[in-house]
Amino acid sequence: MKRALVTGATHGLGRTMVALLIERGYAVVAVDRVAAAGRNGVTDFVCDLADRDAVDRMLPRLIGTGPFDLVVFNAGVSATGRFEEVPAEAYRRLLTVNAETPMVMAAALMRAGAARGAMCFVSSLSHFTGYPGAAAYAASKDALAIYAISVRKPFARRGVSVTLACPGPLRTEHAARHAPDGADENLRLEPATAARLILDAALTGRRLVVPGRNARLFALAGRIRPQAVTRWMRRLVFERLGRAVW
Amino acid sequence: MTKSAPARTEAQTEIGPRSPGMTDRVLITGATSGIGLALANRLSQRARLLLTGRRPEDAVRSVLPAGAAYACADQTSPEAAVAAIEAALARLGWDGLDLAVLNAGTGFVGDPADEPAARLRATLDANLIAALLISRALYPRLASARGRLVLVGSTARRGAADFASYAASKAGLHGLARALAEEWRGRVEVRIVHPGPTATAMHAKAGHDPGRLGRLFAPPDTMAMLIERAAGSARPVTNLSFSRFAWRRAPGPR
Repeated sequence: MKRALVTGATHGLGRTMVALLIERGYAVVAVDRVAAAGRNGVTDFVCDLADRDAVDRMLPRLIGTGPFDLVVFNAGVSATGRFEEVPAEAYRRLLTVNAETPMVMAAALMRAGAARGAMCFVSSLSHFTGYPGAAAYAASKDALAIYAISVRKPFARRGVSVTLACPGPLRTEHAARHAPDGADENLRLEPATAARLILDAALTGRRLVVPGRNARLFALAGRIRPQAVTRWMRRLVFERLGRAVW
Repeated sequence: MTKSAPARTEAQTEIGPRSPGMTDRVLITGATSGIGLALANRLSQRARLLLTGRRPEDAVRSVLPAGAAYACADQTSPEAAVAAIEAALARLGWDGLDLAVLNAGTGFVGDPADEPAARLRATLDANLIAALLISRALYPRLASARGRLVLVGSTARRGAADFASYAASKAGLHGLARALAEEWRGRVEVRIVHPGPTATAMHAKAGHDPGRLGRLFAPPDTMAMLIERAAGSARPVTNLSFSRFAWRRAPGPR
């Protein structure tokens, strides 16, 4: 039986990925701060991925449940608002969960030989633009994206393909919590669609997946006119944000 | 090609802006060696300086420009580094800051599949998390002086197999800078400069031997000159890759 590891597996995109993987016959190891109740075929690891000691304590046990044919680093949190208004502790947590922990886990899994097959890092569409109103989030997702690009060849030499996923806004609780006032929910992609596209890309070893047509158009615009798109993001996001949310 | 030339002169005349003057209060992190020290030396005649490094003051005093204030701030402990810098600013009585150059950085070379967690964390702490938290802490002072924040990234920010976490940390700085440049527009000018390979002690510290290629690296003085120029430019992002520094040399000491 094939085995998959998914972080941030209880809500949103991660939850949908777990469901899809079970449908496809995978045994899934799920890591999250809270376990989801009643999922057959899922082994839950409850861990606060912002807590270095907790991550270090979990890793040997996690490696023991491998090796994994697919690893998806999906866990992420956000912080939106004026950069200077969000507390420093929230930024520390955000950077640890979004950037540091997936890198630490990836290196540990590779060193232990517990990853074989495919690995996927879930970054963000923000990688293709500036993101005023979520500067620390943007920093964490850029860091993760470039880590994925950097390790692609060295990990391939050890038989593991690396896929960078950059999803745009999804119809999840997470997105709703951080969206600016008056954002159009209909523009957000269904998590199930994003999950399918990302898993298919990861399992076929593609380098990059930007799920959804709107997201791909946006990424293209961001590549061609980075500053114009960043200004547009200011009007679209930053100037419409209410109080800071983290 | 013909199009880009006039655009550049325009940007340069526009900047001429305020190159740092004697009344300016300037913070440079990681200023005890390499590019940071070269920058400190360039500005020491023209501005009041607060420099930081990870070593205690008596170990570095002899290399620093005379008259510069110093704070020991080891960025591998980001929160402690923020506190040390804020304490030093308070001690100097600087309630505003005209220029902050966040230059401190560290990195290690190696196979990312073998990278120990402690190294990965130290790299992200020093290069990204500390710089982000320092930027946040400096905001009130920068805003009150309508100052300028310059982040020193790296051309490795686009990805590097031999120093993956370093590349990631510098990409993170890039993401921070392009968001902040827009967010703080009209309040604090934000710039990020990405230096290419520079002949500093960093390569040896990182366990990297560039071999004969090292002869092509930019001298720190040249890189510092180009960074100073980029800091005054109208563009938020400047890449100082090989083609930008290969034919230039900073003028000798004045």
